[in-house]
This record gives sequence, C-alpha cells and structure tokens, in this order.
Amino acid sequence: MIKILAACGAGVNSSHQIKSALENEMKKRGYQVSVDTTMIKDINQDKLEHYDIFTQIANSNLGFEINIPVVDAGPILYRIPTMAEPVYQELEDTIKKLGKK
Amino acid sequence: MITFDTLFTKDRIYISNKTNQKDIFMEVYQDLLKQNCVTKDFLRNLCERERNYPTGIDLAPIDPSLPNIAIPHTESQFVKTSGIVPIKLNHPIYFYNMIHPKEELPVSFLFMILNQDGQEQTSLLASIMDFINSCDKDELTAFFQMKDSEDLFNFLKNNFKGVIAND
Repeated sequence: MIKILAACGAGVNSSHQIKSALENEMKKRGYQVSVDTTMIKDINQDKLEHYDIFTQIANSNLGFEINIPVVDAGPILYRIPTMAEPVYQELEDTIKKLGKK
Repeated sequence: MITFDTLFTKDRIYISNKTNQKDIFMEVYQDLLKQNCVTKDFLRNLCERERNYPTGIDLAPIDPSLPNIAIPHTESQFVKTSGIVPIKLNHPIYFYNMIHPKEELPVSFLFMILNQDGQEQTSLLASIMDFINSCDKDELTAFFQMKDSEDLFNFLKNNFKGVIAND
C-alpha cells in the first residue's frame, strides 16, 4: 500500500478531488494507493513521516524541508485527461522509484 | 447527490460592479450572512484563504477565448449550507492562479463554493469544471458576458449537469 497525503488550503474541494482522481487512476494502473486529505496549515514533519508521497495543488512553502517525494497535482483539477496524464505519469514513476506495491 | 436544484438558488446569484476583491467579497458576504448561509467569520476566513491559497483558474487550457474564473471558498466550519454561488464581475479583477500562485490572472467570473460538509460533498469543484468543459464554447463565452442574473440562472439550469466525467 502506497500512502499519499494530498493537501490544499481548506482541506476540502481541491484535495478531495485529487484524492478521488489519484485513487481511481492508480488502481487502474495496478497500484494500491490510499490518499488522505488535509489542510496545508495542518501539515508538520511528524505527519509527513506517515506518508510515502506528498501531493500538492501548487508549490507550497511549508516552512520546513519535505523529505518525501512531492508531486504537483494541480492540473488534475481541470478534469481534462490530457492535462491529468502527466501528473499520473509522474506519480507512477515516483511509485516505481519507491519500489513499494 | 450534486444537482442544479440543490446547489443554486435565484437569490444567490450576483452581478458585481465592485472593482477590487475585498469589496466584492464584502458585498456577497453581507447578503449571504443575511440569508443565513455563512457565519460571521466567513469573510475574514475567505480573505485570508484567498491570500494564502489563491483560487484563480486560468481557462486558457480549455479555450483561450474564455475569461478566467476563481473559486473562492473557506473551510467548512464557516458555512451553513452547501452550494455554488455564481458572481459575475462587471470589472475584471486580479486573482492569483491556484496552480501557479505567483501568477496573476484577470478574472471575470467567480463560482464561490459553500461546502458545509467537507468530507461528504467533495465534488463541487469537479461539477464546476465539468460544466465548463461540457458547454459549447461560444455559448459559454456568451454566458460569461450576460448582464442579467435571471439569464445566468437559466443558462446554469439548462447546462449544469453535476459531475459528468469519471476520474
């Protein structure tokens, strides 16, 4: 199981959209992915330690260094397949590098 | 279930002549407060959120002729209902781009999202994007230029289909 944290400003709307899109698409590609959502302001280093990958809408300055792979997932929000595809591909590449199933 | 009837009301469509973000938010907030749709702290949270995590969306990737939109919203605790609030701006104002927050976009239309139960009703944003993606682009351009809230309402009634595309 690959654990992903998706964050946006309010912790609703955008991050849930990302969660639903990533879980569906990665399942199709044969990966077991679980995405939690959060408000950006609630993220700290301890929280991030529980995840394999961090996905954000835009480049967010969390005030500390992020030690896990980060994938920018904002283009998914357009709900246009050609815009989402590069995000899915980057996530898949990142998952492959992690070597987890 | 996301349907037109549950998300839009005729009393919650605005056409604003204001010329800056703060005045637009204030104008809409005061009416939403009167309608008991938001809490007193809504405005403060809305402005703060927009400053830290902007919500402008560049529609050029969908069609370069379309004006840009923004989807201002707050955390669930500041709203008392769920719905989408269309706000036509007679004077385009600048919002920062949600995906590229350093970039400013002239924005002509807002779909303010009121999301009372964040965990359950997650697809409001998706339904807005599906509305834009599914409309005929000439008709959508005309929609964004409408001057009458009744016309805006009727166009949405006829064209807003909830969530269409699968993820």
